[in-house]
Amino acid sequence: MSYIRFENVNKSFGNNHVLKDINLEIEKGELVTLLGPSGCGKSTLLRCLSGLEQVTSGRIYLDGEDITDVSPRRRGIGMVFQQYSLFPNMSVKDNVAFGLKMKNVPKNEIDEKVKEMLDIVGLSDKIDQFPMQLSGGQQQRVALARAMVTEPKVLLLDEPLSAIDALLRRNLQIEIRRIQQKLNITTIFVTHDQDEAMVMSDIIHLFNAGQIEQSGTPVELYTSPATKFTATFIGNYNLLRAEKFGKACGAELDCADVAIRPEIVKMSREPLEEEDYYLLKGTVTNYISHGNIIRFHVDCGDVWLNSDVVFERELAFNIGDEVYVGVEKNLIIKL
Amino acid sequence: MNKKSKALSNVFMICVIVWLLLPLAATLVYSLFRNWTEIVPKGFSFNSYITIFSNPRFISALYQTVLLCIIPIIITIIVVLLALFVVTVYFPKLEKYVQLLCMIPYTIQGVILSVSILSVYGKAGGFFGNRMVMLIGAYCIIILPHIYQGIRNSMHAVNMNMLIEAAEMLGASRLYAFFRVIVPNIITGITVSSLLAVGILFGDYVIIRNLSSGGTINMQIYLYQAMKRSTDESSAVIVVIMLLTFAITALVLYLQSKSKLEKIQKEGR
Repeated sequence: MSYIRFENVNKSFGNNHVLKDINLEIEKGELVTLLGPSGCGKSTLLRCLSGLEQVTSGRIYLDGEDITDVSPRRRGIGMVFQQYSLFPNMSVKDNVAFGLKMKNVPKNEIDEKVKEMLDIVGLSDKIDQFPMQLSGGQQQRVALARAMVTEPKVLLLDEPLSAIDALLRRNLQIEIRRIQQKLNITTIFVTHDQDEAMVMSDIIHLFNAGQIEQSGTPVELYTSPATKFTATFIGNYNLLRAEKFGKACGAELDCADVAIRPEIVKMSREPLEEEDYYLLKGTVTNYISHGNIIRFHVDCGDVWLNSDVVFERELAFNIGDEVYVGVEKNLIIKL
Repeated sequence: MNKKSKALSNVFMICVIVWLLLPLAATLVYSLFRNWTEIVPKGFSFNSYITIFSNPRFISALYQTVLLCIIPIIITIIVVLLALFVVTVYFPKLEKYVQLLCMIPYTIQGVILSVSILSVYGKAGGFFGNRMVMLIGAYCIIILPHIYQGIRNSMHAVNMNMLIEAAEMLGASRLYAFFRVIVPNIITGITVSSLLAVGILFGDYVIIRNLSSGGTINMQIYLYQAMKRSTDESSAVIVVIMLLTFAITALVLYLQSKSKLEKIQKEGR
């Protein structure tokens, strides 16, 4: 039986039906990401699991126990909020010790556990400081330590890195993953950032308008989007009407749409003569540098394609260049 | 800001301070000298102070004033804190109505309030018929808007719901979280509101005059009586009232600055 189970969970705020019949199972020790655009219901589902919101209908099970009507403080769930929510009047030590005090843990044990947890998050030297004396990243690590020190059954992370700058964010993503794996704690992470989800997760559940659009490992979601929405949200797929694409490359496709990853779109100055490829001809209209990757926009008449090319010594193509384009047939995703 | 305009603003500030302190200084001089008919006052003496401090009615007035300040302020703070806790956590939609209710006393004059209370509770026996209870109740109403507004603003500044949710997830009850996490963070707001209330209650004459029916006297009533007897004595009473107000303000601010959190807030990161 799964460690966490959502059974036909619905949540409405007035007339706004935010969660629609959610059925979801999460295994112990996994880091699962709820990914989706703002307002899709991912944070609401997290808050329903924490008990901070009551479900309108459905049941939630944790470790075999029905926790739907259990109060948040008795669920044994730790949570890290987007805005850290550290208690400003308490030192780092008191913040981390708060949950243990609530559990009536003996003082010497509290001191020991707090020290140990601050060692894990690398903040032992900040033990007597107050939240406002710490940087955003340090505050987030204190919040993480505070949530984990009580050894919760599940750790919930509600967009914990969204207020942190890009470089620190990348470091913290790796840090959180490392700590989660070290402590083997079941973790549910909410984000709207697909790169973040890819880096951190064992499993991603992609949300759209209150429903789970698709679930899978990061690689599965990236390589096999089942719907147009997944293809749009994950990666930077070329999404084309199959009819138009078929017309441009002289082929017939038995589907409505096709999704093509930009990295499989091959560009050449010379005509391509490969049997396994759909072949097109076009003009480079623009390009965007993503550091080591250059994304070229190619106008192929009725269809536009993006092609990712690894940047080597110099720019492979310029704006206005006539190019031959090839897309490997078996890598096209039919939708 | 250049040197010239800085000097100008300094001069302006000094003028304002002098203008504000002049009446206080004059009162102090009046209380310390017997004659002030020429430029330089004559006859330095502490007699006025000796007179008032040797009068048991003055000591009693002083004691009752302090008591009549502290009790209503404590009651109002507790009531407002609990009301705001319930409203913010459980019934956020009711907040606007609570605010409206708490603001009503702003519009009620002391004389109307005291007469209304007398007409409603004057003939009631028992607990509510007690003049002291009526007086404390009236004072609670008078200071309610000031205490409410100060605490409410501070609460909104600390994002109360978010902190309570965080504490709840760590195993605390909402009420415990409120008093352990929220209240220490709004202590500045509570202090400022309390000081404002001290100022209002120290200056009351109308309500106590109507409700105590002579049984209870505060500093304002004693001052009124002293003015009939001697100018020197009334000046000394005014100086004592001012010093007492300063002392209470200084004590509260000192206690507040002793808190570690306050020190950090001042120092910044």
